[in-house]
Amino acid sequence: MIVEIGHYALILALILSLVQSVLPVWGAVTGNDRMMAVAPPVSGMMFLFVGISFAALTMAYATSDFSVLNVVENSHSAKPFLYKLTGVWGNHEGSMLLWVLILVLFGALVAAFGRNIPTELRAATLGVQGMVSFAFLLFLLVTSNPFLRLSPAPMEGNDLNPILQDVGLAIHPPLLYVGYVGFSITFSFAAAALILGRVDAAWARWVRPWTLLAWMFLTLGIAMGSYWAYYELGWGGYWFWDPVENASLMPWLSGTALLHSAIVLEKRGALKVWTVLLAILTFSLSLLGTFLVRSGVLTSVHAFATDPMRGTFILGILTIFVGGSLALYAWRAPLLKQGGLFAPVSREGALVLNNLLLTVSAVAVFVGTLYPLALEVVGGEKISVGPPFFNLTFGPLMVPLLIAMPFGPLLAWKRGDLYAVSQRLYAALGLALAATLLVAWLQGVDRILAALGFGLGIWVIAGAAAEILSRARFAQVGLSTGLRRLVGLPGAAWGAALGHIGIGVTVLGLVAATAFQVEKVVTIRPGESVTVADNTLTFGGLARRTGPNYIDDVGHFDILKGGVKVAETDPAKRLYTARKMPTTEAGIVTFGFSQVYVSIGEVHDDGGADIRVYHKPLVTLIWLGCLVMAFGGALSLFDRRLRVGAPKPARQRMVPAE
Amino acid sequence: MPGMTLWIAFALLTVAAALAVLVPLARGRRGHAPAAAHDAEVYRAQLDEIERDLDRGLVSEEAATAARTEIARRLLAASREAEASGAADAATGTKDKADAAASLPGSPARRGASGLLQVAVVIAIPAAALFTYLALGSPDLADQPLSARLEDTQQNRSMAALVAKVEQHLADNPNDGRGWDVLAPVYMRLGRTGDAVVAYRNAIRLVGSDERRETDLGEALVILAEGIVTAEARAAFDRAVALDPKAVKPRFFLALALGQENRKDEAITAWKALLAEAKGGEAWVEAVRMEMAKLGAEVPPSPALPGPDREAMAAAAEMSASDRAEMIRGMVDQLDTRLSAEGGTAEEWMRLMRALAVMGDGPRLREVKDRALVALKDDPVAQAKLRGLAEELGIGS
Repeated sequence: MIVEIGHYALILALILSLVQSVLPVWGAVTGNDRMMAVAPPVSGMMFLFVGISFAALTMAYATSDFSVLNVVENSHSAKPFLYKLTGVWGNHEGSMLLWVLILVLFGALVAAFGRNIPTELRAATLGVQGMVSFAFLLFLLVTSNPFLRLSPAPMEGNDLNPILQDVGLAIHPPLLYVGYVGFSITFSFAAAALILGRVDAAWARWVRPWTLLAWMFLTLGIAMGSYWAYYELGWGGYWFWDPVENASLMPWLSGTALLHSAIVLEKRGALKVWTVLLAILTFSLSLLGTFLVRSGVLTSVHAFATDPMRGTFILGILTIFVGGSLALYAWRAPLLKQGGLFAPVSREGALVLNNLLLTVSAVAVFVGTLYPLALEVVGGEKISVGPPFFNLTFGPLMVPLLIAMPFGPLLAWKRGDLYAVSQRLYAALGLALAATLLVAWLQGVDRILAALGFGLGIWVIAGAAAEILSRARFAQVGLSTGLRRLVGLPGAAWGAALGHIGIGVTVLGLVAATAFQVEKVVTIRPGESVTVADNTLTFGGLARRTGPNYIDDVGHFDILKGGVKVAETDPAKRLYTARKMPTTEAGIVTFGFSQVYVSIGEVHDDGGADIRVYHKPLVTLIWLGCLVMAFGGALSLFDRRLRVGAPKPARQRMVPAE
Repeated sequence: MPGMTLWIAFALLTVAAALAVLVPLARGRRGHAPAAAHDAEVYRAQLDEIERDLDRGLVSEEAATAARTEIARRLLAASREAEASGAADAATGTKDKADAAASLPGSPARRGASGLLQVAVVIAIPAAALFTYLALGSPDLADQPLSARLEDTQQNRSMAALVAKVEQHLADNPNDGRGWDVLAPVYMRLGRTGDAVVAYRNAIRLVGSDERRETDLGEALVILAEGIVTAEARAAFDRAVALDPKAVKPRFFLALALGQENRKDEAITAWKALLAEAKGGEAWVEAVRMEMAKLGAEVPPSPALPGPDREAMAAAAEMSASDRAEMIRGMVDQLDTRLSAEGGTAEEWMRLMRALAVMGDGPRLREVKDRALVALKDDPVAQAKLRGLAEELGIGS
């Protein structure tokens, strides 16, 4: 019964989304209050219904209800309980349901917390959100219905793809989806602004927090996915320029640009048209990512199913929304009033540079991702665009961005003084040069590029620190007042500084882990040792262990530093019995910010094994930097300045006359 | 009635959905602030912020003044716009009022537009939902959580359910060797040979190695390899023979392996050794003879004695049903007489019992069982075998 209620609730949500797509937008255009008033309660109701639906599917997974086809295909009674739950979104249908759940969640959030958004804007925004929801609910019910039943029900399921049976899966997709789908609301805001023909101060004010929210989760989701690939795939890599990864990087880049251009719009009323376009592009890139992942165009871990019907359907959604919104843009954007002039050297100018570089790098990733696909479609030739392409395009674009980054927040609005700003960055420059020289001296002058990269990371961190410290004015007001001022700085200021510091931290991690990593691939027998950097690993042999639904060949390693045992690790080669599928469980030991990484390859009859051992200096900084960025986003989001009051209605409605 | 509850739940959800649309549509028009008023509010907040920044010394006095001027200018524009649109709103409001006065509240014309919409909502939402659901859903299928199905006695009888139950138990207690030992032969019977191999391995690891388990493991591996005695299977049979050098089955497979490896002479020697031990009538004897023939060895004549000879069998095949029964009865009597007079092995007694069971001669079967138990009272193993067979034939104890 619960399963069927879930199914019915999903259908009701579909019908409500249709109502939502029509009435509020119509009301907003014609000024009909009643129709506009429909939007908030219907948004809440849609969230409730999709929530019921999701809960019902989760229930079916939790109780191993094999009368549900989706559960049979993706679950197994012997699976640990946690993975029964995460299995809900570890497959195509369930993950699309999660997608839709987050879509309607954002609609409900705007309905609940958007009282101070102008009524027409809110109604039109929720209406556009309703259209997106309708498209995806229809997609779900027509091509990927998770509630199809089987009778008689089989006694056992097919198990979940073992590679996805991992805590990483419990966290990675929901985070990523909140990010991806979160940009739908900025898209809806942009489309609503175009429909209404006005982008005003309130629009700029209220778009930014939603962008920030989506951006934070996308940052965390990408970081989580990268860490998951790092420890689960057993290659020691954390970014492969895999199309699926690029699909999440593109909206991140344009979303970051949007975050910055929205500041200009809010503070100075400039860049209106551009900001609206970015909002449309960001969600379009999210949709493109969904299409790439879901259509089976790419064959990878992420392509759960290859089904041409689904691919065509998503391509249709993509075409309608991207094409439709761009057409709307072309038609309505000229109506938007431009405002706020500024000199090239100014905060606005710096943010435009930021936008320029971020957008161009997003284009570079876009080309690198789609060119091989396009070529394959046209000429049938299969080429692969690997890291070299991205290192040559994306890398050089990031360097000026990172160099310019500390200047931006220090420049004044309208007209900035580059010379004065440079003076305040002397200390940061000194630190960066010192770091470069130190690394060059430690690692040899032939590694000068890596040393420069390292210095660049320090430059970004020190520059952001210099900016936040200069705001406290320790020199003028003394230590205690300065500290008080520092604490009292607005959340947005701290958020910006931490966001930039996070980038610097990630850069340090990337440079160190790429340039200074030590890798060894050896065949090792019990009792033998292998040394990477200053770590000696002694192999204690292999043992077989049985888990709930897998068998492990577990290797044991003692890690010695200077002859003293400091740690041990048990990497494993795992075989999931239901699907007869092997996975690697890397052994990872963290020392400070660095890690030793061991993964087992081929196992030999004599008890020996082929292993890969890495020493990855400062590798954890990559992900810690992302956490810092997301934390900065959170601080900025909770800035009390966001609490702008709502104006009172112009006048009370009078009762009908006599 | 769970079916009823389901439809009631559907009805409640539908009502909630319709109300979410109806209530705001039906509720009276409330005025709302024009968009420009929201802008004004944002500008006012920005002005406050400048004051705060100035208090904390975050911006200089002249920067603050410049910013204040700019924001104030925008605030002014926004307020003006808000007022204008408010006035316009008021104008339309007055017009509304005039309309309202002209057509009294509740007049058909006024109620028409929004009323029509409301009726459409009330009809369309449930209709569309029901239509879609009936096309896609399965209202008559109840939930079937696995734990409930395993407890359900109806399902319990099916082998698959039993297996699932044991599997679940083993998933929780993977070190229960006896469980694996019980499950393994069941897997074999269900044709899940791969699972049987795993189960036998687990049983051997946890309970210990014995001739039967090793042999069964080997056999499962051979079946898995589609009749080829793999190195792994050989190792299992070797262990079995080491545990019980007299065991026939592992030696049978080892001989087969020799044949497959083209070590003809050794294979033939092994087969011969096996045949020499045959008492005749064993199921495998015929197979051995065929293997030997395949290897081109001289097949020794089938051992004389027990069991009807070829001619008799061929004759039986041509007889009528009653004649055949008569012949079998004669042979059974013959065997019975011989066993009673001279005694015999447990196997011979068991053959007699099976024959009687096939003939459906219950009383005589019981009587023979008792006689056999007496005849073999010194041999506990034979006694156990007889009791086991009696159990199987439904005349236990």
